[in-house]
Amino acid sequence: MTLKSGHLTEAHIGAALAILYLLFNLLFWVYPFLWLAILSFSDWRFFGTPSFSGLKNIYIILEDREFWGSLWNVIRFLGFYLPMVLAGSLAFAFGLQHIGRGKVFIALSFLLANVSSGVAYSLVFTKIFSSTGPLNMFLLDWFGVTIPWLSSPSMAMFSIALVVTWKFVGYYGLILYSGLMAIPTEIYDAAKLDNPPPLTRLFRLTLPMINSQLILVLIFAVTVAFGIFTEPYMMTGGGPLESTNMPLLVMYETAFSRLQPGRAALMAIIIAVASYLAIVVIRKTLEKDVGSA
Amino acid sequence: MKTVIRLLLVASLLLVGGCSGSGSAAGDSARPKVIKLWVAPNETQEEFWKIAVDRWNKSGLGLPVTFTTIPATGSSEKAILTALVSGNAPDISTNIFAGFAAQLADLGQLQELSAMAGYWKLIAARHMGRIIQGWDQGGKKYVFPIYVNPTMIWWRSDILAKLGLKTVPRTFDDVYALSRKYAALDHKYGMQVIAGKNWQDRWFDFISFYYATAAGAPYIKDGKAVYDNAAGRSVVIFLNKMFRQGWTAADFDSDDPLVTGLVAGAVRGPWDIAYFRKIYPDILKKIVIGPMIANHKTEGKTFTFADTKGLVIFKSSRVKKQAFAFISWVFSNDDLSLLWLRKTGLPPARGDLMTNPLFRAFYRSHPLDRQYADYVDVAVPPAFIESTIDVQKTMGIDMIEPIEFGIKTPEAALTDAVRRTNQLLEVRQ
Repeated sequence: MTLKSGHLTEAHIGAALAILYLLFNLLFWVYPFLWLAILSFSDWRFFGTPSFSGLKNIYIILEDREFWGSLWNVIRFLGFYLPMVLAGSLAFAFGLQHIGRGKVFIALSFLLANVSSGVAYSLVFTKIFSSTGPLNMFLLDWFGVTIPWLSSPSMAMFSIALVVTWKFVGYYGLILYSGLMAIPTEIYDAAKLDNPPPLTRLFRLTLPMINSQLILVLIFAVTVAFGIFTEPYMMTGGGPLESTNMPLLVMYETAFSRLQPGRAALMAIIIAVASYLAIVVIRKTLEKDVGSA
Repeated sequence: MKTVIRLLLVASLLLVGGCSGSGSAAGDSARPKVIKLWVAPNETQEEFWKIAVDRWNKSGLGLPVTFTTIPATGSSEKAILTALVSGNAPDISTNIFAGFAAQLADLGQLQELSAMAGYWKLIAARHMGRIIQGWDQGGKKYVFPIYVNPTMIWWRSDILAKLGLKTVPRTFDDVYALSRKYAALDHKYGMQVIAGKNWQDRWFDFISFYYATAAGAPYIKDGKAVYDNAAGRSVVIFLNKMFRQGWTAADFDSDDPLVTGLVAGAVRGPWDIAYFRKIYPDILKKIVIGPMIANHKTEGKTFTFADTKGLVIFKSSRVKKQAFAFISWVFSNDDLSLLWLRKTGLPPARGDLMTNPLFRAFYRSHPLDRQYADYVDVAVPPAFIESTIDVQKTMGIDMIEPIEFGIKTPEAALTDAVRRTNQLLEVRQ
């Protein structure tokens, strides 16, 4: 690759543009990842030189009931979150289809939740969901009951999933809406010949046609579940009884409160592998090539 | 390909050059000309340090001091740790709590203050002999405590009067009697007995009640949890009864329950006086401050927990002696102690608050603050251990929460928490 008569070839321009991206990745992805791998097998407490510790961190993490409990909590979170966010996003997407004027305004209103500060809305929801908060006082006054939104081990995760659903329903809904918009009307016209009931049309036609958008939303939802931090940190602190203790909370405390970055690094790798495997399973089992169907 | 490699090299050098710190500038090996001080990100404390530093710099007694607040986005501890790891730590930092100090000392990051010339003279000048005992790590002192906030209980005097009570509750039985009456009113609770969900909250519930009942005896002794004793048992029985009877709620996160009158009493520190004076002055007029509640009435003052923080000199500092000279000057100056009190309202870590005429004059016109100052000598700091967070998390997960949800008897919860804490401490040793 040489310069010909002082002119930049397309290849040179391409290489120059790619270099920035490559450098960015080297610095902010490859370097931290290598450091993460080294730390996972090291004894290091932020000061001095890391010393090789063999499999010690693995043994300690294998016996760490808090960490494995937090991974189980990811599954519990998904159990609440997936049905809520999928149903909510689909309802939003279908609703948006039928709106004439003000569509952009409504879509942006829903997106506002997505760009709001996690700390700010977590504080607001903590107050709303408090056992002595306005929601419970209303329920008590009108129905004579209160709901332990954040103070019961079985309800706390549901409440957090509810808040995260509120945050993402607009974003996921727009992704699904784009899929709905892309379905050719001829397909519906052809289906009309058989006059299928609405549910059959939904499950046999609409949902399969937006399979790629649904898979994308599912993958996003899974990554949210593994990466959730602000909401449980602010609203429940991982409790009660560790029922909302998520992997990132454990990792954060291990690194910065217990000052064990080596163990936290290994946890990060385990979390990354687990989320990658979950995504692979989703793609293998649910992804369909709609184009060639 | 050569072009690509050259471009890569140039870009890498630029990046490395840009990323490297400014420490390699000329004169790096020369001794710094200033003492760098980090102070708590708190408006009133910042005001104090501004005046103190200004006076020191004008006095010409030593190296000038520059100060900034701890650049904490999350917590002070994370900001200090990051600075230490990246080599950007100041010479002195305030806002250090016992657990973090124990971690830093264990990692060899702190200068031993008790080995510095003039240290014991300073301790004697401030009558801090008793206070400093709680900051011992292997016979050495790494932290100089700045303030001691005893935890006390705030009671709404109007509610007590409505219930026909003439004195503040002193014992668990007193709280039961009050709660029984107050809960009979519409959706009310006797007292907030659990401060919150986080590990720090144990300072303001279990540990405060424990110190009060155990006359200040430690909950961790010789590297072992020892709170499964009569005092610990009476505290968990108290908590259990309050929850089972519905005399307290799982959380009061919505609004301040003292302000709304949802509870008659709650554990509070002296910082709330300034806060209430500013935000809820009318409620503050109805507040009476009582000692920490205990299982039984005690002769004299009831022990309580001391929320206390101090300052450290980092081992990385190249002006340790000069930094200690500055500290000695600030903290041996009674006028500055009074200034601290006036600005922050937090009792300075001194043993003569009730005897020194300077402070007595202040407290005469500040009766609520005086109540706190009066308990400084019976306020016990938290255990000086590296595993503070895990020990207090265990208290919450294995003891407080199972009691709250009624899934363990109080005795079983206490035994489980102590056993798990000891397992944890054993692994750390």
